Amino acid sequence: MLEQFAQLTINGLITGTILALTGVGASLVFGIQRIANFAHGEYLTFAAYAGLLLNATYGQNLVVATAGAMAATAILAVAIHFGVLRPLRGRGLVATSLITVGIGLMLRDVIFMVVGPQTRQFEIDQTAVYDLTLVRISPGQAVAIAITIVVAPAVALLLARTPIGKAMRAVADNRDLAAISGIDVERIGTYVWLLAGALAGLGGTMFAVVQGTFDPNLGFQVLFLIFTTVVLGGIGSAYGALMAGIVLGLAMELSTWSGFAGGLEARFKPVLAFAVLIGLLLYRPQGLFGRARVF
Amino acid sequence: MTPLLLEVDGVSKHFGGVAAVDDASFGVTEGVITALIGPNGAGKTTMFNLISGFMRPDCGTIRFAGRRIDGARGDVVARAGLVRAFQTARVLTRMSVLENMLLAAKDQPGERLGMNLIAPRRVARRESEVHARALELLDLVRLRHLADDYAGTLSGGQRKLLELGRALMVAPRMILLDEPMAGVAPVLAQQLLDHIQQLRQRHGATVCVIEHDMDVVMSISDRVIVMDEGRVIAEGPPDAIQRDERVIEAYLGRQGHADESQRGRPA
Amino acid sequence: MDFLNLAFWTFVASTAGIYAIFALGLYVQFSMAGLPNFGHVAFMAIGAYTMAILVVRYSVSLPVASMAGIAAAIVLALILGIPSLRLRADYLAIATVAGGEIVRYLAMNLPDLTGGPIGSIGLLGPGQIALYNGGWQRSLDELTTALSAVIGAAANRDLTMALMVWSIVLVLIVLFRRLERSPWGRVLKGIREDEMAVTAVGKNVFAFKLQALMLGAVLGAAAGLLLALQIGVFSPDDYQPTLTFYAYLILILGGMNRLWAIPVGAVVFSLLYAGTRFLNFFPLSLIDSGSRAFLRLFLVGFLLVLFMAVRPQGMLGNRRELLLEK
Repeated sequence: MLEQFAQLTINGLITGTILALTGVGASLVFGIQRIANFAHGEYLTFAAYAGLLLNATYGQNLVVATAGAMAATAILAVAIHFGVLRPLRGRGLVATSLITVGIGLMLRDVIFMVVGPQTRQFEIDQTAVYDLTLVRISPGQAVAIAITIVVAPAVALLLARTPIGKAMRAVADNRDLAAISGIDVERIGTYVWLLAGALAGLGGTMFAVVQGTFDPNLGFQVLFLIFTTVVLGGIGSAYGALMAGIVLGLAMELSTWSGFAGGLEARFKPVLAFAVLIGLLLYRPQGLFGRARVF
Repeated sequence: MTPLLLEVDGVSKHFGGVAAVDDASFGVTEGVITALIGPNGAGKTTMFNLISGFMRPDCGTIRFAGRRIDGARGDVVARAGLVRAFQTARVLTRMSVLENMLLAAKDQPGERLGMNLIAPRRVARRESEVHARALELLDLVRLRHLADDYAGTLSGGQRKLLELGRALMVAPRMILLDEPMAGVAPVLAQQLLDHIQQLRQRHGATVCVIEHDMDVVMSISDRVIVMDEGRVIAEGPPDAIQRDERVIEAYLGRQGHADESQRGRPA
Repeated sequence: MDFLNLAFWTFVASTAGIYAIFALGLYVQFSMAGLPNFGHVAFMAIGAYTMAILVVRYSVSLPVASMAGIAAAIVLALILGIPSLRLRADYLAIATVAGGEIVRYLAMNLPDLTGGPIGSIGLLGPGQIALYNGGWQRSLDELTTALSAVIGAAANRDLTMALMVWSIVLVLIVLFRRLERSPWGRVLKGIREDEMAVTAVGKNVFAFKLQALMLGAVLGAAAGLLLALQIGVFSPDDYQPTLTFYAYLILILGGMNRLWAIPVGAVVFSLLYAGTRFLNFFPLSLIDSGSRAFLRLFLVGFLLVLFMAVRPQGMLGNRRELLLEK
């Protein structure tokens, strides 16, 4: 039972860190652009296939493939920002949400048409297992741990120490106040999309690598986990999203632990996540860590 | 002494650590125009929100016509006969001026889904009464010629008039007006003033108005309530209030230019 | 398949009518009351599942089971609506789509109740094929016989179905036109514009919103029943969130706030949707037939974006009204 606990904790930490990093981007976007981006999942899908192209077709290693996917997805996110979302700003919350739904459908189905519906996998040994006595880790998980251990602190540093990171947080927290204090909100908005795109790129490839096999529904399946992370951390709060992702990842895995009232059956994990999301929206829309804030 | 129509007793409302309204008590007599004045941030609009059921007080009681209304929902308070207008007029922009008026009518059985199918005649009968009343009130607020226009095409001042007319459709016993003159062109402002006075004379309505312009306050109100920093600091007839030390202190005490900013408040 | 296949187009006509009913439910919630319900498909699912389970497992008669399906949708509307209707628009959108997904996941993961991922066919457990629409087929046959007395040999089951569905659409449109212009509809419209103003004149906004949600749920469930009866089998995969967005597209094609434009939107949508299978000329012939399904969904997304961007008033609406400032 202890072993199961340790294993679930590791799995939860891995999923959680990926969710956290993706969530940071989504949360900043939500805070700055005031939109619930229903296409965010498809950014992850796009990234997974961009990474796969580099990895499987061009024989690059996973680090290069991930970096390439991050760059490509960042460009995609900025292109959609300038091409569609920015010109259509000011149509209201619902209209914008519907537009992102449309963008998501377009992206997903273009990907379906290009790569087909069959499942794919990265060039990585899916059968090997590293046995660390208490826990066992797949090569995919090992890669994810290695990459996130580098990226997560880098993102935290970027947001905490650099002027641009501070500006992003300021704008996401209070756009009007930031504008008054002389921050170029438009420019920061573009950078936020770049960052959110890159992090979605990271998240997409990492989810694909950790899961082993994936298909073009990859991103849509985790979209609501990303939303949950964003809301749990408090919309617009980067640190909140970092914490929330890890908490959510752990909570989802550990809910299946047999020491926890017998454990929830794994197939009900998504239901649990949705229920948590709805509960949060209803009773703590400012997030677990956020202050109450009037919109 | 006539019984009070509205009694506010020991009401407080905190936001975070700040008391927006702090142990405020006052009463309003039926058939009287009362002005609620005070410096910016004194808690006047919060007080209106508390009375009209748009916010719930932390403690204290509010009675309207003898009935407790503190903590009651806004629509319940409105149906009890206490109707408010907003600081920035809230008109329904993509509905016609006439529809804005009709919407506010009371006792329309057609607001119940099934009644439109079971008793369409009754609904239609009430609708024609309501229609006549709406046109009458639109005449009063001089908007009848715009009845079929979208409310979104009205000017700020016209919106204030429409909101006043709409509030009257509810046939209120008491009406709360939050800065009815703000943003209204002088000609319209004079009309509004006339309406407010007519309300009392012709309809016997009780009016409570938040107003910054002292000349207006002195000319229309029978009674003045002064708030400062969430507290009610003075209550009385206008001429007495004008001489009240605490009121002068509240307006002039803290900043030298307060007089200017309060009297000639830009619209 | 032949482009001029009459049976196929009759079938498409029925589906279009069913989508019109489905979209009408969303119209009540979204266009009339301003509630962005992104989980409308859940009402369709719960209606169909309740009906099928009652018929197959408990041998309840079809009319009673159908009523129960609609009642179940109302209960779901209450469960979803009572806590969440106070949320601001985009939170409500996220909460409702999550609610819809919960229904779908439960349908998938409670095989003892729902038949699991294989759907209605598995309702009786492994090895037994469950059918719920036998009674329906018999009634349709009787109606078809009656119809053939009028129009002769042209009568067939699909045509009867199409006529029946469109009669329902017509009745509903007339009914809702009346409701929309009633004082009830006026209050909903006011809520769509500004809840606080409507509260300030003494209307219980929450109660009206809940009524709109429930009425929409009834129509959603009715569409779900008709679709399930027409097709004969269904599975959790038939209730993907995309279905809700088809309904949005139908509303948008027709122009958001025009009741009579819904059937037009539904027909255009269905023609587009069914018609894409005939797009087999160059260069589209390069796409293999399996991928056409994705092309269709791509088109749905493209039209959503395009119409929101260029013609938010739809094909037929009045732009001036939509662009009036709040």
